[in-house]
Amino acid sequence: MTFRQRHLALPVAAAIVAGCLAPLAVLVAFSFYEVEDFELVPAFSFRAWGELAFSSTDWFLIGKAVLSGVATTVFTAILGYPVALALTRLAASGKGLAVIVLLTPLYTGEIVRIYAWRIVLGGEGLVNTLLQGVGLIDEPLKFLLFSPFTIALVLTYNNLPFMVLAIWVSAEMVDRRLIEAARDLGARPIDAFFRVIFPLTTPGLAAGSLTVFALSAGEMLTPSLLGGTSGSTAMALVDNLFGTAFDWPLASALALALLATLFLVASAMAGLLLRLKGARAVVGRV
Amino acid sequence: MGRIGLSVLIVAAGFLYLPLVVLAVFSFNDSALMAFPLSGFTLEWYRELAGNENFLRGFVTSFLIAQPVGILAMLFGLMASLALTAPGFRWRGLFAVLLLVPFLVPKSVLSIAQAMIMSRIGFERGATALILAQSLVALPFATALIAAVMVRLDPRLIEAARDLGASPWQAFLRVLLPQIRPALSGAYSVGVILSLADLTIAMFLAGRTQPLSLMVASEFRRELRPDLNAMQVVVLVLTAVLVGLSEAYRRRRLKKLAAEA
Repeated sequence: MTFRQRHLALPVAAAIVAGCLAPLAVLVAFSFYEVEDFELVPAFSFRAWGELAFSSTDWFLIGKAVLSGVATTVFTAILGYPVALALTRLAASGKGLAVIVLLTPLYTGEIVRIYAWRIVLGGEGLVNTLLQGVGLIDEPLKFLLFSPFTIALVLTYNNLPFMVLAIWVSAEMVDRRLIEAARDLGARPIDAFFRVIFPLTTPGLAAGSLTVFALSAGEMLTPSLLGGTSGSTAMALVDNLFGTAFDWPLASALALALLATLFLVASAMAGLLLRLKGARAVVGRV
Repeated sequence: MGRIGLSVLIVAAGFLYLPLVVLAVFSFNDSALMAFPLSGFTLEWYRELAGNENFLRGFVTSFLIAQPVGILAMLFGLMASLALTAPGFRWRGLFAVLLLVPFLVPKSVLSIAQAMIMSRIGFERGATALILAQSLVALPFATALIAAVMVRLDPRLIEAARDLGASPWQAFLRVLLPQIRPALSGAYSVGVILSLADLTIAMFLAGRTQPLSLMVASEFRRELRPDLNAMQVVVLVLTAVLVGLSEAYRRRRLKKLAAEA
């Protein structure tokens, strides 16, 4: 067999199989193992899965992960559309700059962003001081930090650039004349958006949604460092079972259940978005 | 461009940069408390930072881990892109899906699974484990950057080189490589940046290695401190310099390529 360019796929595929698929497969095996005297013993036991099936906490946390992923997706989409559409109107030189402006906050470390938001939202932080200074509030708003609000805000912040990029790429491909035609024929801007722009950008919305959902649903750091009492996550529990409690079978089963649930929701979401009329027209054409 | 569009963009940029600006402002504020109103300008926190050996060690560790991650992400991204654009590659669809796996599986799930398999087979967690795991997470991004450039190249240039007697290796070095060099430098920076930004993978795989993000996370669970602010600003500035350099390099290459064409 002589060497061909396509054979370069082999080392890459081997790395992904060894580094991603094998660990996930081992997770499946471990979920059937047993723990005896802090020793993981190969077995074919349904103990962990049984425990998981009847644990309301575990399913509550998995539901929470889904909810957090879906909410972040919806928030970034609502905020992302106006930004992406405004970006399409920039001159070419402005667009190059816009990419840098948009991507630079992503370069900051996970911990930097979390740390910065604590300073912005704290009792004596920027937002509270400003609002008190203007006289809108007398006492600092407590819900700003260590609450579900904080988690939603910071997850939206972390993922907004991905959504904007995806919708933007899609919006750039929409034929400007279609929008002009709609407007000339008497459509209000809002109608032009929902009847022309939105359907034609659903592929970008689908790509952005998938990205944002994948990145936010499994996130454990933001909730645990900024969510206060509401910051418990399925992955933090997995971490706890893995490290402190040394219950690897249950940790594996819970991680797999989470992964499977997220996968199902993501597929349903992508399927739903791509079934919209405009998406079919765009994707069908390519 | 309308006034509405412009104000949307200004508000969006304000939102994206607000936390970073506040962070920077307090690193120069003459008070140990991070509260408004500001009390005056000082470089005290930076001076304190420069004398902090832990920080310097963490910084060197993070930097030394980020370099191989950038290089591995670039090399594997290049191989993946070459395979994706190779003629007559039957498994292209499957291979593309495989490349998405490290991106679609949440980092937390992936790292915990990797930690389990490593401790089972006796592979010690530490710098090597961290480098490999971070490179894997950077791979989809690196591949996307390189492949996006490669699919737009004119395949006739390679064919012409081959017809004129160049070996595949020569054609790659003399024709393809000069055209994709900006994308390669982009892929390298993405690897470095993702490695510097990462905390999740480090939490599970760093072992006794202490990169900066892990140090900050353990310090910051207890309290907010202005010298930590100063540290974050230093990391931010260094990352920005890195991004700026690679962007400048990319632009110079592109200009040169345009001039040659």
